[in-house]
Amino acid sequence: MDNLFVALFEILSFGAIVVLVVLGLGIIASMMGIFNFAQGEFVLLGAYVTYVVHSAGLPVWLGMLAAPFVVGALGFVLERSIVRRFYAAPIVAMLGTYALGLIIREIVRGLIGGLYLSVPEPLGGSVNIGTMHFATWRLVIVLITALVMIGSYLLLARTAFGLRIRASLENPALARASGISTSAIYGATFAFGAALAGLAGALIVPVFSLFADLGLRFLIQGFVAVMVGGIGSFAGPVAGAGVIGTLAAALPWVMPPVIADVLVFVLAIIFIKFRPQGLVSARGV
Amino acid sequence: MSNHRNNPSRRRFLSNFAFASTALATGVGSWVIRPDWANAQAGPIKVGVATDLTGPIGYAGNANANVARMVVKEINDAGGLLGRPLELFIEDTASNESVAVGNVRKLIQRDKVDLVLGGITSSMRNAIKDVIVARGRTLYIYPQLYEGKECTPYLFCTGPTPAQQCDEFIPWLIKNGGKRFALPSANYVWPHTLNVYARKVIEANGGEVVFEEYYPLDQIDFSATVNRVVSNKVDVVFNTVIPPGVGPFFKQLYEAGFLKNGGRLACVYYDENTLNINQAAEIEGLASCLDYFKAITPEDPFSAKIQAAYEKQFPGTFLFAAGSAATGAYRGLKLWEAAVKEAGKIDRDAVAAALDRAKIAEGPGGPAEMVPGKRHCKMKMYTAVSKGGKYEIVARSAGMVDPKEC
Repeated sequence: MDNLFVALFEILSFGAIVVLVVLGLGIIASMMGIFNFAQGEFVLLGAYVTYVVHSAGLPVWLGMLAAPFVVGALGFVLERSIVRRFYAAPIVAMLGTYALGLIIREIVRGLIGGLYLSVPEPLGGSVNIGTMHFATWRLVIVLITALVMIGSYLLLARTAFGLRIRASLENPALARASGISTSAIYGATFAFGAALAGLAGALIVPVFSLFADLGLRFLIQGFVAVMVGGIGSFAGPVAGAGVIGTLAAALPWVMPPVIADVLVFVLAIIFIKFRPQGLVSARGV
Repeated sequence: MSNHRNNPSRRRFLSNFAFASTALATGVGSWVIRPDWANAQAGPIKVGVATDLTGPIGYAGNANANVARMVVKEINDAGGLLGRPLELFIEDTASNESVAVGNVRKLIQRDKVDLVLGGITSSMRNAIKDVIVARGRTLYIYPQLYEGKECTPYLFCTGPTPAQQCDEFIPWLIKNGGKRFALPSANYVWPHTLNVYARKVIEANGGEVVFEEYYPLDQIDFSATVNRVVSNKVDVVFNTVIPPGVGPFFKQLYEAGFLKNGGRLACVYYDENTLNINQAAEIEGLASCLDYFKAITPEDPFSAKIQAAYEKQFPGTFLFAAGSAATGAYRGLKLWEAAVKEAGKIDRDAVAAALDRAKIAEGPGGPAEMVPGKRHCKMKMYTAVSKGGKYEIVARSAGMVDPKEC
């Protein structure tokens, strides 16, 4: 019984991590219609900012607070200067953002000397109930993921700003005619997606340590999650991430991990084959 | 943006300039360090180093290249070899086998080096060895600790083998940890082969392997594994999971109370580089067995001298450490130096014959000698335990340990 609770918690917490990482990717993919291959590197940058703040002798939580703003600002600059030129050609956008990601990744690799560096969590240790141990920081991640999900949903579904984002996606020409600056909206949306990735990186770096390929690790999982979830809505990628993250964490409990790793993708491919529109096919929020 | 100001002549200039600079870059190619030498008639002896300067294990490759620079400079400052200077050619294998083969071919065909030292992973060694030894007719020294079973002629291994890393270490673990072992491993050749040997030693010493399990190389969530470790009451986790997985794995073990309940972590590639992957408390008591730790410098003046010289020449993030093959590279070059001196010429067969029984009285961690006919190297081994983020030496081999290969 204890074992079951521990297993459920571990699976939930890894699922939450994947959701957190995919959230920004999903928002950019759904609301703007482009796949941002540099999303993993925004995660990496969030982690790196946290590390830099920590190694400057400041508290880690300060770095975690700063990370989304720094990465969001960078995302905004990149959107203004580079990414916006790709909107007309989504395939080129993939290659372009991949190149951006590659540049960011190799710069960070140079800055950290290609090493693996630990960053302590602001809340360490574990919560013990009987013989069961639950890592405190993973609990925090689960909570923050839930809050961020709710926050993002409310922002997109309930605010005037969210309405403008959706309008710009649905019908850019009409949105412009109605006085919405779609170019400003795209910039803000991209920055928001980047900021979420920055936050994800900041929160997960104590769990996985800082290394240059941190973001790359989640990139493939993230895209499979978006495919499974369905593009075009906010709920789709989140649901997809939940499914992929949970499967990735749960399968190794019941079968050899090497097989589990492949099986996640096989299942995803079969699913997409039979339901190409993904879990959530509706457009909107 | 309009392009009308890009007139044709400027464009042509730019393209010419790009062409010229590309030609310049590819033509000069490798990083050539030319000693300033006047009185060598026969020309310099050429030492080739092919190692991973870039890519995920760039930190190790750069340390290897630094060691080569240090040793070559030291030999040249002392008057060279056979009255000739050494010239060092460094090529990047870029953690990518297909890039590596091309670059190693440059060392062999264009630079015509007399020796190639390098390669860190086993897959890299396997990719470049044929280019060097068979088609290239050149001597090859592989400096990294590895899974053994490399018995190619003209290929000499100067890093520790499974026998050297297990024979004394595992009995120590049984005494200082317990009898129940878990072997969580990354799914590639080194862990598979090392585990076969480790299992034999564990069982011969009265221990038992509770489970042996392999993971994808990029797996970073180990909750299922940690649960198996804890619920099976494992005493010793003999880990061959590699970065990036190893950090989260050790952290999850720590969070599950494995260390608090008296569990022992063991990992035979853990050196000073890998200490930083986790916070000190998460790997408290982690034991490793290698040919060198910085912690032996107080008891071994020669090691202290090398360590100080390295740190003076190359301050920064690329450490002189055993797990990244830096000590094997030092040992390899010095053994080769001794062999060339004995052979009196640099002809491949003569040097290989001398290298087959070469000895050095001093090196990182102590003396070293090749086992005749085996092309592997006897060396002293040390067991160290991580305490508060630093290693403490807890056991030393009585003398040099036999590699038991080939």
